[in-house]
Formats: sequence, structure tokens, C-alpha cells
Amino acid sequence: MTVGVLLYCFDTPDTAYHKLATKCIELVKKNLCLPITVITDNTTHKKLNTLDVSFKIVEQSKNNFRFYRGKNVPWYNMERTKAFYHSDYDTTLLMDCDYFCFTNNLLEICKCEHDFLLHNTVHDVTGKDRIQGRLESILPIVWATVVMFKKTDRVQRIFDMIKHVQQNYEHFRNLYRIKFKNYRNDYAFAIALHQLNGQISHNEFIPVPMNMLPHEYDVLEINNQSVIFKYNNKVNVLSDMDVHILDKEFANAG
Amino acid sequence: MDIGKLKKYSDLAHDINLTKRNSLEKMRARQIMAYNGRLFRADTETINTVSTLKAHAKEFYILDTNNNPCLIKDPEDFIRKLIERNQETLITLSQLHDSLQRRR
Repeated sequence: MTVGVLLYCFDTPDTAYHKLATKCIELVKKNLCLPITVITDNTTHKKLNTLDVSFKIVEQSKNNFRFYRGKNVPWYNMERTKAFYHSDYDTTLLMDCDYFCFTNNLLEICKCEHDFLLHNTVHDVTGKDRIQGRLESILPIVWATVVMFKKTDRVQRIFDMIKHVQQNYEHFRNLYRIKFKNYRNDYAFAIALHQLNGQISHNEFIPVPMNMLPHEYDVLEINNQSVIFKYNNKVNVLSDMDVHILDKEFANAG
Repeated sequence: MDIGKLKKYSDLAHDINLTKRNSLEKMRARQIMAYNGRLFRADTETINTVSTLKAHAKEFYILDTNNNPCLIKDPEDFIRKLIERNQETLITLSQLHDSLQRRR
């Protein structure tokens, strides 16, 4: 049984995602000790190819965007729907390259018999509870940031359904009254699970919330143990805790 | 007390409360453990449930974190692992708690 991490990383004109991926890979190697496969494009690959990981080069779709700090920026997130086919592992941890593993907690998730698990709740590490996901759709949100999946027929059906949702996203966005106009994997995953579960809420999740640092907070430093962040001239440290970081500016610095 | 000192006190209280809140979340995350292919929380509720059932049966079923039944064939081994993980997380938390007390 092989277990590995699958990352998607595409630089955009606004964000050097390869810098986030480099740090993410360093922490996965240190704390999870798992093999890593990075799905990327030719341009980003040139900046990542010194790393000791496997690569798969794809041509990504460039027609999506996201709202970030008051403006729309390009966002290349359409490839994740193919994760089932891109992964060579029996058990895969599909992860955003801005998710940083400071613990080995995710290894426990890989040891269970579930074939598909992801988060359905978040913990705002700033204590402000800014990320609620309420009143944004009539569908309970799931977070596609970290997904553990196995190569089973059921999971293949889930990913095929996600692809179908992606191809018909405008229809599903209207059906589930999703507030956001851009394509979001979180919603595509949530819709696919809801549809495949006979339109009854999916009920198998990673049993702890995903820790998240909202984009209003500036990251000053990420080292091997902690994240140092700043807001309103107050500096805080987060240590020994896996965290999804929404600030992308620090990737462009330095 | 002048407002400057009160502001400093408030800032310190914010940091302490935030650290405590995140430490509890860290503890809960670490308490998740896989056993017999299922996920369990190594918290007092699970420990109490297992302890009670163990007193009455050699093997028994309990629900995992996603409400799936799991047959526990070796309750002794299970409870040992639960307590071990539970205490590991609480020792870490208590060390942090002590350091926070000193900051107050």
C-alpha cells in the first residue's frame, strides 16, 4: 500500500505559488515523511525542478479568478478534479500548496478505512471567527484544501462527479444559490458529494476543523516550527499546528 | 490606572486567550487516532465509554468519530492507547498552561 502527497502548483501573474509549494514540500518531508508528486505547468516546473519530488506537467486552464484583498486576480485551480487520475498512490493526501504541515496528524487520517475524507469545519487561528461560510449557499460547505482519498470505485465516481460539476458549474451554482461567481473547488466537491449521496448531506469528514489564517493577516515568516503573522501592528506566533494560510503576499517577497 | 496600562493589559489578555484557544484546538487535533481502521477521539468521553463497556464485556462495539460501528476485540489494548494519547496531549497542554500563568 503506497501513501503519498499530491500538490497542484501553478504560478500566476500575481502570486509566486512555487515559493509556497517549496515551503509546503519541506514541511511534508520533515513531518509526514511521505513521497510527493507535484502537478504543475512548464513555467512553474522550471522554478521547482531542483526539489526531490515527482512531477507531472500539464497544461492548465487559465480562465478562473478569485477575489483577493479588494481585486480580482487570476487563479489556476481547475486541475484538482483530475487528482484521482493524476495520483499514483493507493492512499493520497491531496493538499493545497498553501497548507503547511507542522505536525504528523494527517498520518492518522491515512490509517483509517475511509476512502474519502475532507474537512467540513474551520478553526480561525486569529480568534475572530471570520471564516464561517454561512449564508453563502444553500449547501453546507466542505473544504477541498486537504483531501484524503483511496483508489476505490466510489472515489472514482466522486471525482468523475466533481468533473461533471466543474463542466456545468454555472447550472450547479444557480441550483445551490452559491454567492461566489468564480469556480471554487470547495463548492464543486460539496456539490458532488451532495449529488452522489442521493441529495442528502455527506456525513463523513476529518473529525477536527481545518486551521486557517485569514487573508487579512500578513505572514511575516514561516520557519520549520511556526508561522509568525501580523495584524493591526500586533504580532503573533502559531506553532506546531497544521495551518492553511490565505495571505499570498509573503510568497512574492524576497 | 491610565488607559495606556489598560491597553497593554488588554493586549496581553488577547495573546494569552488566543494561545490558549489555539492550544486546545491543537490538543483536539492530536487526540484523533486511528484504531482498527477507524478514527477515534482520545478524549475523556471515549475513555469513559470504553472503560464502562470493558467492565461488562470482553469485546464490544463502539461508534467512531463518523458514527460507524467498530468491534473492539482487545479493550485492554484500546484503552491503553487512548489513555497514552490523551495524556500525551494533556501534558503538552499543561506545560503551555504553566508558561501562560507566568505571563499573566
